[in-house]
Amino acid sequence: MTIFKHNGSAVVAMVGKNCFAIASDRRLGVQLQTIATDFQRISKIHDKLYIGLSGLATDSQTLYQRLVFRHKLYQLREELDMKPETFASLVSAMQYEKRFGPYFCQPVIAGLGDDDKPFICTMDAIGAKELAKDFVVAGTASESLYGACESMFKPDMEAEELFETISQALLSSVDRDCLSGWGGHVYVVTPTEVKERILKGRMD
Amino acid sequence: MLDTTALESFPSLISHGINVAGEISAPPSFQLPNSNDFDGFVKETIQMVKPAKGTTTLAFIFKEGVMVAADSRASMGGYISSQSVKKIIEINPYMLGTMAGGAADCQFWHRNLGIKCRLHELANKRRISVTGASKLLANILYSYRGMGLSVGTMIAGWDETGPGLYYVDSEGGRLKGNRFSVGSGSPYAYGVLDSGYKYDMSVEEASELARRAIYHATFRDGASGGVASVYYVGPTGWKKLSGDDVGELHYHYNPVTPSTVEQEMVEAAGP
Repeated sequence: MTIFKHNGSAVVAMVGKNCFAIASDRRLGVQLQTIATDFQRISKIHDKLYIGLSGLATDSQTLYQRLVFRHKLYQLREELDMKPETFASLVSAMQYEKRFGPYFCQPVIAGLGDDDKPFICTMDAIGAKELAKDFVVAGTASESLYGACESMFKPDMEAEELFETISQALLSSVDRDCLSGWGGHVYVVTPTEVKERILKGRMD
Repeated sequence: MLDTTALESFPSLISHGINVAGEISAPPSFQLPNSNDFDGFVKETIQMVKPAKGTTTLAFIFKEGVMVAADSRASMGGYISSQSVKKIIEINPYMLGTMAGGAADCQFWHRNLGIKCRLHELANKRRISVTGASKLLANILYSYRGMGLSVGTMIAGWDETGPGLYYVDSEGGRLKGNRFSVGSGSPYAYGVLDSGYKYDMSVEEASELARRAIYHATFRDGASGGVASVYYVGPTGWKKLSGDDVGELHYHYNPVTPSTVEQEMVEAAGP
């Protein structure tokens, strides 16, 4: 199995009206064997910036720790939280530094930028950014996720409707993937609050 | 010698040896591919079918008869191609076969076995034993050994000597036993099956054990899932006992209780 399929993952982010949602599955596996059903793939950088890392689990944990370190230094120097666009450039640069021995991760970055405008982007393992206005996907279930998001997405959804849409897209896609699923984890972020929810999914 | 009974058709039975045009007709055989590198081609097909044993099937003998259970997922690499595959094949009203490996191989050769069993009944005026049926299948598979068939099956049935269970595979192996599990999820199913097994179980206890073993395998194994089917083979033949969706079984065994809220934001009293 390719290295990207070793642990299995599914991450998706969607843009709504002045809000965004980012969701992931909860499985950690070693090839076909499931080891954990509560693995955290989405992490907070600051209140209005989240990053979901799909791909090889050890690399996603290490990359996350290095990004937190760089962001904390930035906060100390600039006395400011990083803007999502700046953070995306940081992640891309850090990944390209390892061009000939890369981190086997595909990050999905979602945040609220200036004037609380939602921002999402994904990149490949060596830092090629893909900015999107509607949704971005990553992981072993990415092809199913593309299909599900394309058909279910509508622009300018409110937070509740966005939550429903992203949850349905995630669950229906991971139900067609052997290597991801076993529940779901959704964060819906608006300028005033963050709602974190665990989804009840098929555990097979 | 390859078993070619599957290929015989009526015209060749009528004029075996010399046909209408006066030429000597060739014996029936499977068409082989015209490839420059036949060995390499065969190796590639074997590799293509290898990951196909993504499944969990199990069968065990107990006091009341034989219990047979399987999941229903078909996977192609990481993609789930179906969640509703029938992996327990009804060979005849008193014998079942399980499917693991290549679906086409299992379906075809089990049907072929059913035909042979019926022919045996007609020729000998008595039902074939499970021993005999499993031997027929094992001999067929042995003759195709090394050609890339992928079959890991259990033949379960009830004959004059009582309940019978054999494991037969495409490597040519045939084993008689009381408890078997086949497929990528079999280690997980064995764990549950072995720790809960008693010879003196009732049909309900045995079916619950079989269902639980399949459920636990679908939870841990990525290539198993869908529906857990359980069949019982008794003195009067086989009967399907249950087909429960594994997604629902999980919450049946592990009911969700509302968890305590760790942090809750409350509206501050306004001015």
